[in-house]
Amino acid sequence: MEIFLQQIVNGLAIGSIYALVAIGYTMVYGVMKLINFAHGDVVALAAYIGLTVLMQAFGMHVDKLWAVILMFVITSLFISMFGIFLERLAYRPLRKAPRLSAVVSALGASLAIENGIMLIWGPNIKVFPSNVFPSARWHISGVIINSTQIAILLLSIILMLALYIFINKTKIGTAIRASAIDQDAAKLMGIDVNSIIIAIFALGSFLGSIGGLFIGVYYRELYFQMGWIYGLNAFIAAIIGGIGNIPGAMLGGMLLGIFNVLIAGYVSNTWAEALTFVLLILILIVKPTGILGERVAEKV
Amino acid sequence: MKKNFIWYVVFFAIAIVYPHFVNPSWVDIGTTFALYSVVALSQDIVLGKAGMFDMGHAAFFGIGAYTAAILNTAYNIPIIYTIPIAIILSALFGIIISWPIIHLRGDYLLVATIGFNIIFYQALQNNVFGITGGPNGIFGVSTPVIFGINIASQRAIYYFAWFILLITMLIIYNIDKSKLGRAFHYLRESELAAESFGVNKRFYKVLAFALGAAVASLAGVVFAVQYAAVSPETFNFTQSVLFFTIVIVGGPSSIPGVLLGAFVMFVIPQFFREFATARYFVFGIAMILTMILRPQGIWPAKFGKLPKYIKES
Repeated sequence: MEIFLQQIVNGLAIGSIYALVAIGYTMVYGVMKLINFAHGDVVALAAYIGLTVLMQAFGMHVDKLWAVILMFVITSLFISMFGIFLERLAYRPLRKAPRLSAVVSALGASLAIENGIMLIWGPNIKVFPSNVFPSARWHISGVIINSTQIAILLLSIILMLALYIFINKTKIGTAIRASAIDQDAAKLMGIDVNSIIIAIFALGSFLGSIGGLFIGVYYRELYFQMGWIYGLNAFIAAIIGGIGNIPGAMLGGMLLGIFNVLIAGYVSNTWAEALTFVLLILILIVKPTGILGERVAEKV
Repeated sequence: MKKNFIWYVVFFAIAIVYPHFVNPSWVDIGTTFALYSVVALSQDIVLGKAGMFDMGHAAFFGIGAYTAAILNTAYNIPIIYTIPIAIILSALFGIIISWPIIHLRGDYLLVATIGFNIIFYQALQNNVFGITGGPNGIFGVSTPVIFGINIASQRAIYYFAWFILLITMLIIYNIDKSKLGRAFHYLRESELAAESFGVNKRFYKVLAFALGAAVASLAGVVFAVQYAAVSPETFNFTQSVLFFTIVIVGGPSSIPGVLLGAFVMFVIPQFFREFATARYFVFGIAMILTMILRPQGIWPAKFGKLPKYIKES
């Protein structure tokens, strides 16, 4: 039982990271109907930039707390701008093109970012310093929870709540939801869909960058192809929750995190990835719209 | 049509003299180009013609290669007899895999096919049933003997691969000109309209997968012969991305387009081997630019001729 609870705690930490990354996929898909294959690599880029900022700050003898804050602020700002840049460069010219052309453009962007990371930081594994967050750990009836897990979980929940309020209560949020339902109707209502898409890429990349930094802080090992693995998992999480649906991405991320950890702990480590996809395919067969996705009637 | 025919003759004439003018490593590239073109053309049946988003085609390529390698090394069956077994097995897999997911639309199907490819890859890695050889794969695949001729030399394998490409192109050409090709075409353009014309949607979609899987496995057998070995890495999901990109960059549903796509995506990077570190960065950018400049593919297919007054209005 204790081991099981321990797995759940670990799963929630990974799940929050998946959830943060999954939101970026689901928002872009919701409005543009595009699988942004480059998103995972943007997340990896965030982890690398965060590491560089942190090391620079440590090199200049900045106080540790401030160094960590600097890391979060500079990285998330840079990556948000990078997301906007990516949309402008790789996706906007293809908005009226066949959908698969945009997919190939996304794959190209993914390849370029991945190898750009390798050119700048080299092909070897980079290691994040330990104890970026204070190294406290608590024993609660046999379950060990460390401060990094608490911080990841808390910060993710705060960010997701903020996003939820932003999407549901503000004017821009309403415009985003309207554009996701029907772009042409949104345009007729005076919504500038271009700005909405820019906002989505900025927001998605922002949350993704936080996810990337958490990956660095929690797993500590960075390698240039890592974007694919995390990206694919986050994307699966988005589908499980119901793609296009923001609370769905959060739920899907948490569920997938717990599922991954339980599979690795109780079933098999070598089959973990395959079993994730078995789950995904089963969900697609039974309920293709995901857990929280709504069924859209086909228009003729 | 006549003009196209002449171009194909020129294309194969160049292919026939090519290995006599280049060094062995480029002969190998020529062989792999032919095999990748076969896989890309087979993927195009599913992706370009029937319009189903398939990003797991390397799995069928792998089923062909592994069937040949396992039957040949473990059971001493000559390669030439493994070809029909590989084709039937792969087609069956195509049917079994696609049957439950065929109703999925667009991107959902794309993700499900990625899933099958990754499950397949992990099964190979984990040495499933103790027959796939795990991460190292299988070594010592022998060469085929046809009518008493042993296809063992590098050039012989090269010509064998190009012969397979020729057969594949004939198959694709015939699909295009038949009821089958029209059914695929209608399904891609509008499923609903196709169904109301009496096209059996599920049957033809599964058939597209079975056909694509069968042709890809044929290339897989020759691929196993070319390297005398098989290993999981060559049938990974990233390889499927390559085949997918070949079709979309070249021009879906267009034979010259897919061949050109294979040339651009596979042969051109070989010229830049010295710049190993930077080449994929540049390559990624080039993919984006190609799609922006040629969103329909470099050599898109043309369907019939529209009268001028329709085009202008």
